[in-house]
Amino acid sequence: MALGGIVIGKRTTLRTPTEDDLPSYSRWMADMRVRRAAGVWHQPAMPATWKERLKEQAKEQRAVLWSIETEGRLIGLVRARLGSLEGPPAAHLQHFIVDPDQWRKGYGLDAALALHRYFFDYLDLKRSGFELRADNVAALRIAERLGYTEFGRGHQVHYRDGAYVDEVWLVMQREAWDERWAEKEREYLPLGKAPR
Amino acid sequence: MFGPRIVGDNGIELRPPTLEDYKLFTDWQMRPEVTRFWGPRFTTDTVATAEERLKRHLESNDSVSWSIAYGGETVGFTGIFDISWTDRDGETGIFIGRHDLYGKGIASEAVRLRMAFIWNELGLHRTHNWIALANEGSWRANQKSGYSQIGTYPRSWFRSGEWFDEWLGEAFPNTFPAGKLPSPWRDEGHPK
Ligand SMILES: CC(C)(COP(=O)(O)OP(=O)(O)OC[C@H]1O[C@@H](n2cnc3c(N)ncnc32)[C@H](O)[C@@H]1OP(=O)(O)O)[C@@H](O)C(=O)NCCC(=O)NCCS
Ligand SMILES: CC(C)(COP(=O)(O)OP(=O)(O)OC[C@H]1O[C@@H](n2cnc3c(N)ncnc32)[C@H](O)[C@@H]1OP(=O)(O)O)[C@@H](O)C(=O)NCCC(=O)NCCS
Repeated sequence: MALGGIVIGKRTTLRTPTEDDLPSYSRWMADMRVRRAAGVWHQPAMPATWKERLKEQAKEQRAVLWSIETEGRLIGLVRARLGSLEGPPAAHLQHFIVDPDQWRKGYGLDAALALHRYFFDYLDLKRSGFELRADNVAALRIAERLGYTEFGRGHQVHYRDGAYVDEVWLVMQREAWDERWAEKEREYLPLGKAPR
Repeated sequence: MFGPRIVGDNGIELRPPTLEDYKLFTDWQMRPEVTRFWGPRFTTDTVATAEERLKRHLESNDSVSWSIAYGGETVGFTGIFDISWTDRDGETGIFIGRHDLYGKGIASEAVRLRMAFIWNELGLHRTHNWIALANEGSWRANQKSGYSQIGTYPRSWFRSGEWFDEWLGEAFPNTFPAGKLPSPWRDEGHPK
């Protein structure tokens, strides 16, 4: 597990992170626009520390990290925990970051859809969950488009920008994927229909 | 860190855990009565690693752990974990290992003492927890000291032929019942 492989979307591709990606990671984690919206995957640090972190990530048993690119350019990262012991097999999205200079170009939704195709169509997971700051309009919009629903709301959970913000808890069940996306989002053509 | 001694009613108190207490936990978490709504009933903890665990909790700077004592004997644990000092929020938990003592109000009293410490000594602004909805004793004990339900996670896990939903709760300093403040905070002459 640990470092993710290639998952192709329409405009973006998730791919294995490399050391060359790390300066951009560090820059995003130091960006107040990102920090206002969500928690960071590690604090900004020296290049050597980032290399250590990537090495540690590669050893991770249950969380997978991908870089997101478009047209060969790095534009983001995503990290999810996969698996579940007592509950059904599930994903928990921990970090999903698009370079703030590339926001609102549709990359986020495209990468999120590709990722969820991987979760449901490829890994056959039964659900996916994540939590968001209640004023994170972009991420909430993506969640809603995908088929997530809110199941809980914590009040005044995160402190930032001089005030507390609420947190919403979201889950997307396998049924929502099947209903909305399963027909159009398949990674491989059905067996027997693929050209030989 | 370990929490200090806080003496409650009916012979119940919180106190800093000892190595012997940690050894008890190893055994308790393997029992069917105790794991009805909690834990997988397997562990990497052994009596031999108890000291390591104790040190880890003792040295941690984002948690406060206590043993719960009843009539002078250790019967369980409670605490607050994963404290974010920026958000001033943390997750609380409780575990009573002596199942022969369930239903005697031990959890309710331990939660009361724990929450009083959190609000009056740690300066936190919020606490939260997730509890199996079917584990009424646990969420009731928390509710009585100011927790309220903020959501339900559907079909969280499966046990013995049934799906279990989870009760999501949160508490704030101003939801702690005013009349229930324990000693020393309620004592006359207490600087507060
Ligand atoms: C969440 C995030 C990944 C979205 O990336 P993005 O590439 O900007 O997203 P998109 O361009 O695909 O936009 C997604 C939807 O949100 C809408 N949206 C984006 N920003 C918006 C804003 N500021 N106000 C209103 N709507 C907004 C878009 O219009 C789009 O909706 P539509 O398809 O109905 O038009 C990005 O904002 C980000 O990296 N944020 C910081 C980290 C974070 O919050 N991650 C999520 C929690 S893990
Ligand atoms: C859950 C647990 C903490 C409860 O401890 P306890 O000392 O039995 O709890 P109390 O006696 O203080 O009871 C708390 C409240 O719940 C009620 N209650 C207790 N057990 C109950 C049960 N099985 N069903 C319904 N209500 C119950 C009590 O009546 C009391 O409410 P009241 O004061 O309004 O009458 C204890 O059973 C335990 O630790 N179990 C194992 C580990 C665990 O599940 N931990 C919690 C994980 S979230």
